[in-house]
Amino acid sequence: MQNDQLTLALTRGSLDARVKRPLPAWLSTTALLLPTYGWLTLAVFLPLLTMLAFSFMSATPMGKTPVEFTLKQYRAFIDQPYLLRIGFNSLMMGFWTTLSCAILGFLAAVALVRATVGRAREGLLILILLPFWTNGLVRVFSWTMVLRENGFLDNLLHMVAPDAGSISFLYTRYAIVLGLVHGYLPYMILTCYIALVTIDDAIIEAAASLGARWWTILFKILIPMAAPGLISGAVLIFIPVIGSFMEPRILGGRVGVTMGTVIEDQFTQAFNWPLGASLSFTLLAVVLAIFATFSGVLRRGTAA
Amino acid sequence: MTEMSRRNTLKLLTATLAAGATFSLLPRNVLAAGQITVLNWQGYGTDEAWSLKAFTERTGITVVHDYYSSESEMLTKLRTNPGAYDLVVLNAARCAQAVAEDLLQPIDFSKVPNAATVDENLRSNANFSKDGQGYAVPWVWGMTSLAIREGKPKPESYSALADATYKGRVAMDDDAIINVGIGALMTGQDMNDPKDLDAVTAALKSIKPNVKLLWSTEDQWNKSFAADEFDLSVFWSGGSVRSKRNSKLPVEFVVPKEGAVGWVDGLGIPASAPNAEGALAFANWMIDPAFYVEWATKVGAPVSSNSAAINSLPADDLSRQVHNPEYLKTMAIMSALPDDRREAFNNLWQEVKAFYAE
Amino acid sequence: MPQIGRFYLFAILVFLYTPILVMMAMGFNESPLYELPFSFSTRWYEALLSNQPLLTAGVNSIVIAIITAVVATTLGTMAAVALSRRTFRGKNLLQVLLLPPIAIPWLITGTAMLIFFYWSGIGRGMHALLIGHVALAIPYVVLVVGTGFKTVRADLEEAAMSLGSTPVHAFFSVTLPLLYPSILGAALFAFAVSLDQFVISYFLATPGYTTLPVQIYSAIRKGFTPEINAISTLLLLGSMATILIFARFAKPGDTRDKR
Repeated sequence: MQNDQLTLALTRGSLDARVKRPLPAWLSTTALLLPTYGWLTLAVFLPLLTMLAFSFMSATPMGKTPVEFTLKQYRAFIDQPYLLRIGFNSLMMGFWTTLSCAILGFLAAVALVRATVGRAREGLLILILLPFWTNGLVRVFSWTMVLRENGFLDNLLHMVAPDAGSISFLYTRYAIVLGLVHGYLPYMILTCYIALVTIDDAIIEAAASLGARWWTILFKILIPMAAPGLISGAVLIFIPVIGSFMEPRILGGRVGVTMGTVIEDQFTQAFNWPLGASLSFTLLAVVLAIFATFSGVLRRGTAA
Repeated sequence: MTEMSRRNTLKLLTATLAAGATFSLLPRNVLAAGQITVLNWQGYGTDEAWSLKAFTERTGITVVHDYYSSESEMLTKLRTNPGAYDLVVLNAARCAQAVAEDLLQPIDFSKVPNAATVDENLRSNANFSKDGQGYAVPWVWGMTSLAIREGKPKPESYSALADATYKGRVAMDDDAIINVGIGALMTGQDMNDPKDLDAVTAALKSIKPNVKLLWSTEDQWNKSFAADEFDLSVFWSGGSVRSKRNSKLPVEFVVPKEGAVGWVDGLGIPASAPNAEGALAFANWMIDPAFYVEWATKVGAPVSSNSAAINSLPADDLSRQVHNPEYLKTMAIMSALPDDRREAFNNLWQEVKAFYAE
Repeated sequence: MPQIGRFYLFAILVFLYTPILVMMAMGFNESPLYELPFSFSTRWYEALLSNQPLLTAGVNSIVIAIITAVVATTLGTMAAVALSRRTFRGKNLLQVLLLPPIAIPWLITGTAMLIFFYWSGIGRGMHALLIGHVALAIPYVVLVVGTGFKTVRADLEEAAMSLGSTPVHAFFSVTLPLLYPSILGAALFAFAVSLDQFVISYFLATPGYTTLPVQIYSAIRKGFTPEINAISTLLLLGSMATILIFARFAKPGDTRDKR
């Protein structure tokens, strides 16, 4: 019903009103989708398929080295078992970053929707997104100056407590997660905000007047309302984070070894594109599997 | 044709944006003498503004740059952009690979008069030539070894890296080939072909408690050293000179008893270079004593391959003191690696890094 | 409650702006190695004024980011309409296909693009840069606008139509204003993705044409000086000013101000 009407709408929009014969639905759907997927095919899918083909080769097919087809790149996790540990650490890094962003971002979105109105809210939202417009490398580099020994954080502490030691935690896993949370938090705030902004104040007021406690409102109203935003945010954060290499390298020091840095090394230092490609396609498969499981659980949860 | 129109589009855009700055920047005699495109690391000798100005005044050739941030990227750019580059800076270890792939053309040394005084050890480096024909003008050489904060005891051996006095005070170069080289020197093996890789792995792993960070750029090294994050480090000879002279950092370059990891960079001309003549003229300028003295004393440079250029340096020059020519006679030089060995080196370093991160 | 909420938002802003403030401060610090203690100097701003390549790169970045934001937001919103409001076979697959551009590290996508563009004759240059940037920004737009669609009830359109509105009019007058925050947010993200994108620009830019992130990325080898902080600060303040002016004239908040 809805679809037909929209089709009709689009048909009327795109054709002269006197032409009564409507376009078939598939045609307008295709017209809406084609630019995006055509563009992605040309710029991303075809290049990545080339890379996928490379991942089954024995060597980077750019030089004079004879190349043969092999599955050995996909055996890397078995041949080099230390990669499993790196992979697990990267997943944990993604998990903690996403969880921190989800909690901080969801609460910020709730605060935006409930505690601000009109222009102030718009201004705050833009202020939250603006740090994104500075270069990521510059931002991460600035964090090193905050976190290092005798950096800004230590200086601040010594202003309050001159005798205190250093609370520097640069070159630890905490520093990596902090830098990542900083880089990705705005995604979560925005997606949760989009989901929550349509919430009707009357619902919450009604619930409150009926004696609902704040946790009931939180778990029965706010979180379910924000769910689409939390999910989109998690996708936008978890996926790039487990492949990130800049933050771990600069903030992690000795412990900054992740799947992202391993893959980067294959492309820059080792010139082993097939291995780098196979590792990142494996990572993609793991990510898709995680989200498939997750969305299955979610669907069952909401259906019940 | 497409290249032409693209350039025009860009020019149009730049002109609109920068209000005609494009035209005012172009010297008048340029179009007659042509230009060359150089592919190099950024900030590595070829792109010094004063030098390019002098070169253009002498020859009328303008120099444009494109940069790479890893050697494999350099090879990729050469392969995927035929006709785009006239001169490329490459390590001897990579030169052999480029020659084998027919990416470079033979050098006509008669058009590089300064090459007459190039050190014979370097000119005869097997990686620069094939079938007796030279494919790159040897440009500069340097060393990767240890750098120590002034006032700390000078390390006599690479084993200092694992010494408990430097707990949490060591920075390693995040480069697989260099580290395997260091590990090989620590365990008394041939740096280009260590037979006992397990010993190399064990030696590198033994450094773990001392390792504070892995640096990957000179800039990162300088900033971390300035912030007093480490005392002892694997570092470049030329980098130490620049850090000490330009950034006034209290650093001293040390070659321990096992010797340094030596390397040579050359200037190659891509097989598809549109302006090989201009590239040869620029290569000649790059080993010219006039250029080198200014580069070495003002900026800080590795050692010129041209002995005439080195002899023009003041005797007390820091770079000259750090780079004792005696090293060149005995030091092992990074050489081309077969693919399987390179892969083994990379996997080894990856495993060591995973161990550091635990 | 509102006080706690506002205080919390303030704390979040402090967190988000800590490195930004450090970045701005270090642009005025004398030491090229970013050493503390702080000593005030405007030398980096003076140096920036005569650094034509860096300034040109900054302008190039903004131009590319604006084009990317406009194109990606338009295309992505169209796709989001189809993915949210239509049912058709293969929809799930199309949605999953949005993930690889986000999931595969940019370094790999960039290398793949370089190879493929070379083989297919697209080549390098500003056009290649734009193709790449838009492609990377589109999935973000589709996901963000799609989230907006999930919360805008389809029955509002129907209600409008039952009151005599045409479907097109219903879409543009009811749904689109409700989607406004999502579309604006998506455009801001697309802009940010392009502005921060160095890997792909690095591979696809031709010699002599660079963007700011490429300059920064290349400079980390040579040593980036506080000039980079200076231009980043100017860019950020410039964007703030632009947004403020834009917000004054656009007056988009009217529909929601009524609450």
